[in-house]
Amino acid sequence: MSLAVLVDTTKCIGCRSCQVSCKQWNGLPAERTHIEGRDTGYQNPLSLSSHTYTMVSFREIAEPTAPGGFKRVFAKRQCMHCEEPSCVSACPVTALRKTAEGPVIYDSNKCMGCRYCVWACPFGVPTADWDSLTPVIRKCTMCFDRITGHMEIADLNGQPVAAEARERYAASGKTPACVKACTTGALRFGNRDDLLKTAWERVRAMPDRYVQHVYGEHEVGGTSFLYLAAVPFEKAGFRHDLGTHAPPEYSSIALSLVAPAAMGLGALLTAVYMLQQRKIKLAEAPAPAEKE
Amino acid sequence: MHHEHEIVPARLVTWRLVLLALLMVAGAAAFVARFAYGLGVTTNLSDNYPWGLWIVFDLVWIALAGGAFATAGLVYVFMAREYHPLARPAVWMGFLSYSFVVVTLLADLGRPWNFYHLILQRPEHSAMYEVSWCVGLYVTILALEFAPTLFERFKWQKLHDLWRVWSPVYTVAALSVFVFLMSHSLAMAALALVIFTAVAHLTRDSHRETGVPIILIVAAVTLSTMHQSSLGSIFLLMRDKLSAFWWSPAMPVLFFFSAVVSGFALVMLMDVLISYFFRRPYQWNMLAGMGKILWGVLGVYLALRFADIVYRGQFAALFAGAGHAAVAAGHSGDFGWGGAARGADYRHILFIVEIVVGGIVPLVLLSFEAFRKQRVLLLCGALLALGGVVFNRLNVVLLGMNLPGTQPGGLVGTYYPSLIEWVLSLSLIAAAVFFFATGVKLLPILPKAQRSYERA
Repeated sequence: MSLAVLVDTTKCIGCRSCQVSCKQWNGLPAERTHIEGRDTGYQNPLSLSSHTYTMVSFREIAEPTAPGGFKRVFAKRQCMHCEEPSCVSACPVTALRKTAEGPVIYDSNKCMGCRYCVWACPFGVPTADWDSLTPVIRKCTMCFDRITGHMEIADLNGQPVAAEARERYAASGKTPACVKACTTGALRFGNRDDLLKTAWERVRAMPDRYVQHVYGEHEVGGTSFLYLAAVPFEKAGFRHDLGTHAPPEYSSIALSLVAPAAMGLGALLTAVYMLQQRKIKLAEAPAPAEKE
Repeated sequence: MHHEHEIVPARLVTWRLVLLALLMVAGAAAFVARFAYGLGVTTNLSDNYPWGLWIVFDLVWIALAGGAFATAGLVYVFMAREYHPLARPAVWMGFLSYSFVVVTLLADLGRPWNFYHLILQRPEHSAMYEVSWCVGLYVTILALEFAPTLFERFKWQKLHDLWRVWSPVYTVAALSVFVFLMSHSLAMAALALVIFTAVAHLTRDSHRETGVPIILIVAAVTLSTMHQSSLGSIFLLMRDKLSAFWWSPAMPVLFFFSAVVSGFALVMLMDVLISYFFRRPYQWNMLAGMGKILWGVLGVYLALRFADIVYRGQFAALFAGAGHAAVAAGHSGDFGWGGAARGADYRHILFIVEIVVGGIVPLVLLSFEAFRKQRVLLLCGALLALGGVVFNRLNVVLLGMNLPGTQPGGLVGTYYPSLIEWVLSLSLIAAAVFFFATGVKLLPILPKAQRSYERA
């Protein structure tokens, strides 16, 4: 089973509860931000950073029939948790890892800080805390600590908690903080296959509301964050040029050839050497007549 | 063929070397500052530009230092004995280059103290992992290749004998370990052990003729081929960013050939500079011969580049200009957030300059015997060929990249290397030149000058 999150941008009202709860759960500091304006409206901050694992992107799209002549598209952005992540393929020390549960997680104890992951990510997600003397890579973990942990709440304000409520609390503890905080049900956490089914059911049930595309179903070989939208995704600020091949495809072929190529080349070079040596020996050998 | 080297009888301290030493002191200060204040303060790197001058610098220098394996392979494996005088300086240059590249990497890595995880972890799918191991092992092979210089200088006969026996053993082990790490297969490692043991055994007498067990050279060429090409593999992951003029599944092969090109070119230019600065006789005939070899390799490299760009259907885009070849990825072809094509218009110009000025022009300059006999043309040919590869690496890492920047805000600002980045990089070049020059004054690295290697 692979866990995933479905983001229905048509249900998002841009309240940024996800943004706040993410900071709270991960203990991330605030950062000084400004509103850029342009087509990003009230988007704030402008980008993910080492202090912001998730944020809501705003796009204002001209639509003459809408009140005010435009409509907004809000989309919660974070690590996409690819099925075949470029960052994991890039990492020379396995500090980044795709877990069996679905999230792509990071272990700073292994990281050398080469930043190949930052460069390789097709979604521009991993960031480094550049001002630190011991910089680590930072990005969304899909709250791996929450979803694999166990939260036991035995009493609240001194009152014992009923078994049924305890179970409910434990279950909600196994949800990413952002999903838990979502006020409108725009975020849904679950099994990737189930969420894909749900997504397509919604698209089919309301073809006027959604574009016929579940972003993340096939992009870069599939991601664990799936998106629904009312407008084509490129208009909502998503990359539409990534294709459906997983980026590590080419490099993994090239690297699988290294070991056999090393052996073949070693043998070939030796053959060349021996042939050349033979040629030189023959050329240098005194003529038989002189030998006598 | 051995024992034909001499120590250059020149003054150890010169004003030029003092200047280089001053630059090295500045570099050491930059290195300390980088760790005292962190990458964010001392460099202009950011989440938008996570790699900068230091990575370009490493890629360029490793390509140039390819001169060490290319020359060693030419002289010892292909037995082009007339170029033997170039071999030892090339190996010394290679050893210094790789050592100082590692210093740059230490500065560039955010958490270099965790390097030992390269040994504990085994992500054979990572090109960076391959390069790390390959470069690490190759530096040890370079050290072993260079060791006889020390044995000769200090008359360490016992060590020399030990080296003769044990360096092949170490080399076989190193290659087998490398194959194991890259394949995760004990069967492959066993096969490698058999193959390289056979190589060492078949060539066990080779040191008598050349002074070097051939297995060392075989390892040097093999490991170099692997990491030079894997440096190209690093960029295979960036299909969505690197302009289609450069991104190609053939990048590993192209990186290898371009490293041989720039390596030979550097070794030629080095030889001229050595003759100039140490007032030794120029070896123009030998260099003209090298020019011919360089011409051959450059021809193969350019043919591959041409075939590659035609095969991938980007040839027409060169002349159509703008945007057409913005990125290779995806189905739509253009590059965009919000639909706007962000492929810069000047990419095709960069490509054409790289290929014409740094490829076709030197190819012509080196093509005829009569040209190669003209010193200026020969040197221009080597210099342009080298420049073409330098420009290629710059294009691949920075100029040809359509960086997305951190999402969803996108790319903010431009990158110019900081003073500390410049000082550290330049000081390491200074250090390499300093140690090279000092080395040839203390150790028998250069060929005996009175002996003529010129073939009349």
